[in-house]
Amino acid sequence: MLEVQDLTVHYDGAMALNRVNLEVGDGQFVGVVGPNGSGKSTLLRALSGILTEVEPGKKERPSLSGSILFEGKEISKLKAWQITKLGIIHCPERRRPFAEMTTLENLEMGAYLRKDKKDVRKDLERVYELFPILKERANQMSRTLSGGEQQMLAIARALMSKPKLLLIDEPSLGLAPILKETVLKTIKEIWSSGVTILLVEQDVAITLATAQKIYILAHGRMVTHGAKEELMKDRDIREVYLGL
Amino acid sequence: MVRSYFRRAYSSFTAHVFDIPPRFMAFLFFLLLLTVPAMQLGSYVLRLLIMANIFAIFAVSWDLLVGRTGQISLGHALFFGIGGYTSGLLFQFFALPIWVTIPAAVAIGALAGFLIGFPCLRVKGPYLALITMAFPLILSNLVKWSPLEPIFGGELGFRSLPPFFPFLPFTQAIMAEYYLILLLLFVSSIVIYKIANSKTGIVFVSILDDEVASKACGINVTRYKIFAFTISSFFASLAGCLQAHILKLANPPMFSLDISFLPVILTFLGGIGTIYGPIVGSYIYVILDRYIMSILLPKAFESVGWTLPREFDFAKLLIFTLIVLVLIIKWPRGLARFATDELQNLEEARDLDERGPRIWKRYKKTKH
Repeated sequence: MLEVQDLTVHYDGAMALNRVNLEVGDGQFVGVVGPNGSGKSTLLRALSGILTEVEPGKKERPSLSGSILFEGKEISKLKAWQITKLGIIHCPERRRPFAEMTTLENLEMGAYLRKDKKDVRKDLERVYELFPILKERANQMSRTLSGGEQQMLAIARALMSKPKLLLIDEPSLGLAPILKETVLKTIKEIWSSGVTILLVEQDVAITLATAQKIYILAHGRMVTHGAKEELMKDRDIREVYLGL
Repeated sequence: MVRSYFRRAYSSFTAHVFDIPPRFMAFLFFLLLLTVPAMQLGSYVLRLLIMANIFAIFAVSWDLLVGRTGQISLGHALFFGIGGYTSGLLFQFFALPIWVTIPAAVAIGALAGFLIGFPCLRVKGPYLALITMAFPLILSNLVKWSPLEPIFGGELGFRSLPPFFPFLPFTQAIMAEYYLILLLLFVSSIVIYKIANSKTGIVFVSILDDEVASKACGINVTRYKIFAFTISSFFASLAGCLQAHILKLANPPMFSLDISFLPVILTFLGGIGTIYGPIVGSYIYVILDRYIMSILLPKAFESVGWTLPREFDFAKLLIFTLIVLVLIIKWPRGLARFATDELQNLEEARDLDERGPRIWKRYKKTKH
């Protein structure tokens, strides 16, 4: 479904990603782990096109080279809204709900691009099933939600866009361990309903426990990839990158 | 004991007054404005109210761009002036009638907003404010530039523009103008209110809220920003050409900083992001600055036998600024929003389940 070849990103001369290769198959659950500053978020931002959008107030744009193929189509030159239209939905880091809107309006924003009103309503019901707490909070301003609820809202908003490929950036950021598990469990549930998922996480343990295929990213390079068992076999990788 | 009695009386009073739905209140307000000419307040007061309505259109257009979309513009005088000058040029050189000059001025103003949108997309926040501030100043100097005097009329600008109703006698003409401008205010504020509360308006708020998240939702942020600029400049230039025809004058001060800052003051007085706030703000401004301090106060002094010193004209601005400062410190979220918040709180206390109109809910104070 998604094929990334030799993706290189520079921020003002500093290299953030160095010839990264990545492949996400149809219906797969792929995880990317790596320490701080390894380029995980940059990778997702590059995929969803947010990276190269003109950022007001910034002189230099990050430069991107390499190819990103989505369903056989080159998307690295497309704008963020065009990529979203293709079905790649980015659930950004630090959640970013629209603070001045209610929960329901946030969800409506997620369905902004869709024309099928009936299915949107159906999806709303489904999202409420996945996250019952959001139904209770439907008319509450989203800035008054707790961190966990905001994360759920961010994922729910992404779901409302009817993604083919869902990019999730650090869903466990700043959540209590028990909430992390709930969120991960829901992501797994979303995956089992047929959405392909690319998850970026710092928390190695939960990623290993959920993802089918794991990529390890360090200093902007893909170190290795494989299923959990393969990675755990290699002692160096286990100790240096996974810390297990 | 006495205090608690008064408190109960007050709350029962407010409960009854605020039982009226806000939409109906707004309707009553407009009805009141409709009856103003019948009150025989004199043509000067009527003219002041006309100006208040024009400023209201101007400020409401600013509110859509800044309060809703978050694109800070400190150069709305650009569109105001372009509206006025286009009217003036078309009359001066082609002698076109008023019902041609106004649509043309509005169209050119909207085009200017559309074009200004592009360079302004590259900057954000205070930088955007400064850049927008520069544009009207450039144009102000351009129209004053002596080689262009045959075209733009230099310092004097265009005078003796056609009035709206040349065939009516003076007092009736003013009354007719009053109703016409009131109608235009009514229509344009409803259009802007509808836009602000439509799907597009929600997208505007999302851009104000979080651009990255909007992009992640698949919104073409660029297109919506330019759209906001275009609509806003459309109505701002409408206000500009209306003023030009009312005062029969289009001159360089239309591009001045005073005009640029006018909608800022009016909007903050009434409440930013509310759309109805700027209307309230402009009435407060006109009544306070142009009526109470310019007419009532000198009259009151005269009746006691004193005359105000000439320096009072300068002090007026100072006094007005102080009053505005106090009002903004006391009600930082605007007077109109303060009133609607109170109203909303009472409504909410009555029925917690029912969801009120979005706009009052959206900016409601978070209670702790």
